[in-house]
Amino acid sequence: MKLFSTQIVVPVDSNSVLQGALEVKHVLEETIARFNLGSQVSVVETGALGIYDQGVVLAVFPDDVYYGGVKPVDVEEIVTEHLLKGRVVSRLVIDRNLSSRRLVEKETGLSQQKIVLRNAGLIDPQSIDEYIARDGYAALAKALAMQPGEVIQILTDSKLQGRGGAGFPTGLKWEMVAKEQSDEKYIVCNADEGEPGTFKDRLILEGDPHSIVEAMTIAGYATGAHVGIVYIRGEYFMSIARLKNAIKDATEYGLIVKDVMGTGFQFDIEVYRGGGAYVCGEEFALLESIENRRGEPRNKPPFPPQHGLFGKPTVVNNVETFANVPPILLNGSDWFKSFGTPSSAGTKVFSLSGDIVNRGIVEVPFGVTLRELVFDFGGGVKGGKHIGFIQTGGSAGTVLSDKYLDIPLDFASMKTNNVSIGSGVILVAGGDVPLLPFLAEVAHFFWHESCGKCTPCREGTLQIKAIMDSLVNRTADPASLQRLGTLLDLLSDTSFCGLGQAAPLAFESALRNFPEVFDRALAESHVPEACQEEA
Amino acid sequence: MELDNVTRPVGQAQPLSDEDRRFLRELVETNRIEHHGRLSYMDIMFDLEHRYGNSLPGPVLGEVARLVGTSPAQLNGFVTFYTMLSTAPRGKHVVRVCTSGPCHVSGAPAILSSLRQLLGVGIGETTPDGEFTLEGSSCLGICGVSPALMIDDDAYGNLTPEDLPRILDTKRAGGAQ
Ligand SMILES: Cc1cc2nc3c(=O)[nH]c(=O)nc-3n(C[C@H](O)[C@H](O)[C@H](O)COP(=O)(O)O)c2cc1C
Ligand code: SF4
Ligand code: FES
Repeated sequence: MKLFSTQIVVPVDSNSVLQGALEVKHVLEETIARFNLGSQVSVVETGALGIYDQGVVLAVFPDDVYYGGVKPVDVEEIVTEHLLKGRVVSRLVIDRNLSSRRLVEKETGLSQQKIVLRNAGLIDPQSIDEYIARDGYAALAKALAMQPGEVIQILTDSKLQGRGGAGFPTGLKWEMVAKEQSDEKYIVCNADEGEPGTFKDRLILEGDPHSIVEAMTIAGYATGAHVGIVYIRGEYFMSIARLKNAIKDATEYGLIVKDVMGTGFQFDIEVYRGGGAYVCGEEFALLESIENRRGEPRNKPPFPPQHGLFGKPTVVNNVETFANVPPILLNGSDWFKSFGTPSSAGTKVFSLSGDIVNRGIVEVPFGVTLRELVFDFGGGVKGGKHIGFIQTGGSAGTVLSDKYLDIPLDFASMKTNNVSIGSGVILVAGGDVPLLPFLAEVAHFFWHESCGKCTPCREGTLQIKAIMDSLVNRTADPASLQRLGTLLDLLSDTSFCGLGQAAPLAFESALRNFPEVFDRALAESHVPEACQEEA
Repeated sequence: MELDNVTRPVGQAQPLSDEDRRFLRELVETNRIEHHGRLSYMDIMFDLEHRYGNSLPGPVLGEVARLVGTSPAQLNGFVTFYTMLSTAPRGKHVVRVCTSGPCHVSGAPAILSSLRQLLGVGIGETTPDGEFTLEGSSCLGICGVSPALMIDDDAYGNLTPEDLPRILDTKRAGGAQ
């Protein structure tokens, strides 16, 4: 192995490519060659760092300097000033506080705790050797040396709960599948990531695809399954390519497929793509889709652990849930429980979006407050504006006012405080964003994504959309808020699947937290004459 | 190969050529091998859209149904469920504008109305020259750079209405970014 005195890390992911990362990398390599630095400086491509509003980022090690907003024309200056003369190009440097908090694991009190994102942005996601060098596949080796039941016991003790939205205990889910007598079982990874405002699974798949391959293989061993399927949304081209590459490399290394690590255990992993349907994130709709049918949910019970893919016992877990598994096996359940709160062990990966200074991904222990997420990690509202509203948990989540800023986020407080965490969406809207058109868009989303299988959701989402549009257009009739309330109850009580059951959350919480907005729209409404006659 | 003969509205579609049939047979077989004896209709459909100009002509679906061993109605039910697939003819490039919450907050409505104006078509419509089909989309998973859109397989983020003419022009000229 060659020793380089300086290493420049370029994060390349779908977001940074949009901002010109590949171009910058290309120019950087050229310039380094032109200045004959090739033997001292290495340029390393890595996965996403989870930071999106700093343009193309370059990290220089061991100097620990982060440059942001780098354009191809800036490269020569960085090379001649920093690399040749040792003078940092200060105009491009990103706030050190910010970079150390958001980009790398640092000891500072407010640092992120990286369990899920332990490798993202630090290793080349296309290199299995780099993954292995950071304890990759060591958890699988450890698991294979144990009884399957012991593996599940560690997970159960760790209190890991599903990160896909419902928070079901992962150990229990695996145990249910392990107990089933069946010659065919399946491990399915839910990478459909359709909840508006969520882009964390993409970061994991692009930045650390081997962690998913390893975790699914562990799940296979623990439950007695021999086939794993990853269902990835169709637009995630880079995730799909990197995951397929990881599967190929792990197969060549003898880490998966036939005779895993020489133990005789067999485990295949395949990739299926989604076709652009939010409901396919629902576990049964997802299984239907893998079975080449329309993505319509099935009746529950029986649940997937008893009657899942092709009618066989099936584990369905979210990408982030899986990514937690190898570190838990390596470090133990007590280590994992040392992060988070009594009701919620470990960390949560949040996706920050909207009118926030630092949009991007952060991983922090459960119990973090919205204030910490929005102001400390997010850098506050863009343009110094005040907060209009925050939607947490996604479109199927709650719309909150700034009164909620100091509530700790974990599974317990979700219930007591009516705050959704869901997939970890934190969408911030500044004070100048009107609430009702936003809610009309949310209504449009559910109407568009309803699969149409059951009447309350199919017809109800249409009615909610009509009422929201009439409030926006100031043509709402006086009884519309009452009708809206009835509809919302109806949907949450009688819808067939989670989509229809959770669709009301945004509207209920908005009515609760911003009643005056609705009242004013109603007071300003004039019902068009044509409609008055009808009524 | 000349593809235009199969990218017209379903009603006027011509019978498949031998070359089409051979292509379809190989496509299904390759897919079966890749998925260890199972099939992924979705992968097959994406490949078909690439070949047949962003849509799935009726005769092609009929032949594929036969090859995979299902009924045309079942396959039609499948393809009409998923928004990335289309049985109606679409333009050379499909523009999918995200309208979901995070993009809405950062300016998606202005992006959408600019695109309508620039292209002169509404959502779901194709420009008369057959270049672009405009579609509204749910979250594309790139909310970190909202407002965002995708044209074919390429994503664009941090958009302002001023960026759009250049993006459309490069697409029209056949470039990616
Ligand atoms: C409408 C709807 C959409 C969903 N979308 C997703 C999704 O995109 N990703 C995900 O992991 N779970 C999603 N879920 C939750 C899944 O049904 C399921 O609970 C989850 O994948 C289980 O994994 P976990 O236990 O690891 O969280 C969705 C649920 C519903 C009702
Ligand atoms: S609640 Fe909506 S998405 Fe779920 S089954 Fe009913 S119609 Fe389909
Ligand atoms: S909301 Fe537009 S990409 Fe996610």
